[in-house]
Amino acid sequence: MQVSDQDLIYFINTLKNVSKYDFSEYSDKSLKRRLQKILEDYNLDLTSLITNMRLDKAFVEKVVKEITVNTTELFRDPPVWHLLRSRILPRFKNNKTINIWHAGCSTGQEVYSMMILLNEMEMLDKAKLFATDLNVDVLDAAKQGIYKYRFNLSYLDNFDKVIKQNPLNFEEYIDVPYEKYFDIDKVKDTITMKKFLTEKPIFRKHDLVTDGNIFFAKFDLILCRNVIIYFNYSLQNKVFELFHSNLYPKGLLLLGMHETILGPWANKFERLGQAYVKK
Amino acid sequence: MFKAVIIGGSAGSFQVITRILHSLPPTFPLPVLLCLHRLKHVRSGFVEALSIKSSIPVIEPNDKEQIRPGKAYLAPANYHMYIELGNKIALSTEDPVNHSRPSIDLSFTTAAQVYREKLIGIILSGANRDGAYGLKKVKDLGGLTIVQDPEECQVRTMTEAALKLTPVDFVYNTNEIIKFLQKIKP
Repeated sequence: MQVSDQDLIYFINTLKNVSKYDFSEYSDKSLKRRLQKILEDYNLDLTSLITNMRLDKAFVEKVVKEITVNTTELFRDPPVWHLLRSRILPRFKNNKTINIWHAGCSTGQEVYSMMILLNEMEMLDKAKLFATDLNVDVLDAAKQGIYKYRFNLSYLDNFDKVIKQNPLNFEEYIDVPYEKYFDIDKVKDTITMKKFLTEKPIFRKHDLVTDGNIFFAKFDLILCRNVIIYFNYSLQNKVFELFHSNLYPKGLLLLGMHETILGPWANKFERLGQAYVKK
Repeated sequence: MFKAVIIGGSAGSFQVITRILHSLPPTFPLPVLLCLHRLKHVRSGFVEALSIKSSIPVIEPNDKEQIRPGKAYLAPANYHMYIELGNKIALSTEDPVNHSRPSIDLSFTTAAQVYREKLIGIILSGANRDGAYGLKKVKDLGGLTIVQDPEECQVRTMTEAALKLTPVDFVYNTNEIIKFLQKIKP
């Protein structure tokens, strides 16, 4: 069975009625695909799914968690981390504090990557990291900071590229042991972040559609990577407005490798490589 | 009249794709959508390598980018590439499908839904079964389907899987694929 436009509207409206989630401005193609997948995974037709959602609050939360996409990895897209290391973070070298918001942090790998990089640049002490996601399960995983080892050998490759290589001279290699930041247990198949990293960030549940800025802070840097690809144009603009108004002047916004600001908010930022600098 | 060409390939397809892109006329009237698996550690440099010999521009598109004729759009590493109504690209980081991200099945299926009988789908050499289901969708929705002759493929798993699932329109070697594409007029 193929999810139709009407099915999708019915689902979105039900969700709005039984919860505070508003998915009406998500990109409908990707939402349709996710809904399709849920129907297949639970082996339900739409009517039964909707009935269950009306009867069972916990089920609604479960559906919402499965609708959202949680892909992330340690130092995902190393060129972005090279940019952070060579051109973005040095801008804050003389700041007293650096406020960083990871919007849509998923299971936290990006937050740990940032802390590791900041520590290598001797800037971790003055950094405050705020990390948010819609899905409390992934936030719990983020707080734990424990990841599978065997599935994620790319983490170590990425670590080598970003942390062990000199960003200005790729021939130069600095030996930074993994144990400085995380323990690898091949028998248990885990990568466990060190305590000084897990206890540092503030993790909070947050919905970019409805919640605005929940921290009493403005930001020097906001990372929101591979989140807005799931939003439509109108919601993207609302999110850009939220980010723009909560960045310090000259603050930076970093989107995913293949995300760009289209439309009116493009003029309010300047490009710095992949990043956007608030004018 | 066709509106787009979509090409899927994996192991052994790089040289074939390079030859195809090299042989297209610079005024090729359709967009070329490329969904190619690549080795995990070869994430960058692929688009550059394809561009060197291509007679049309090859780009890794951004999300929601408008699709234009005469350009090749390569699915970025580690993203699924979907085709949306309104002739736009949509990217996604959803889980890999059959161990693949980008997934050829997903690109082909969404392109088939948008372009229907105005789509040409081509499956090239590859070492897994990704693409077979997608090519079937192209065929089911009235599109034209071509599979690289398995005899010519470096790895024939992918083309054989596609042929098993769908009675395709043509089984062509690289030269024949090129000749066919060169005949497409605006």
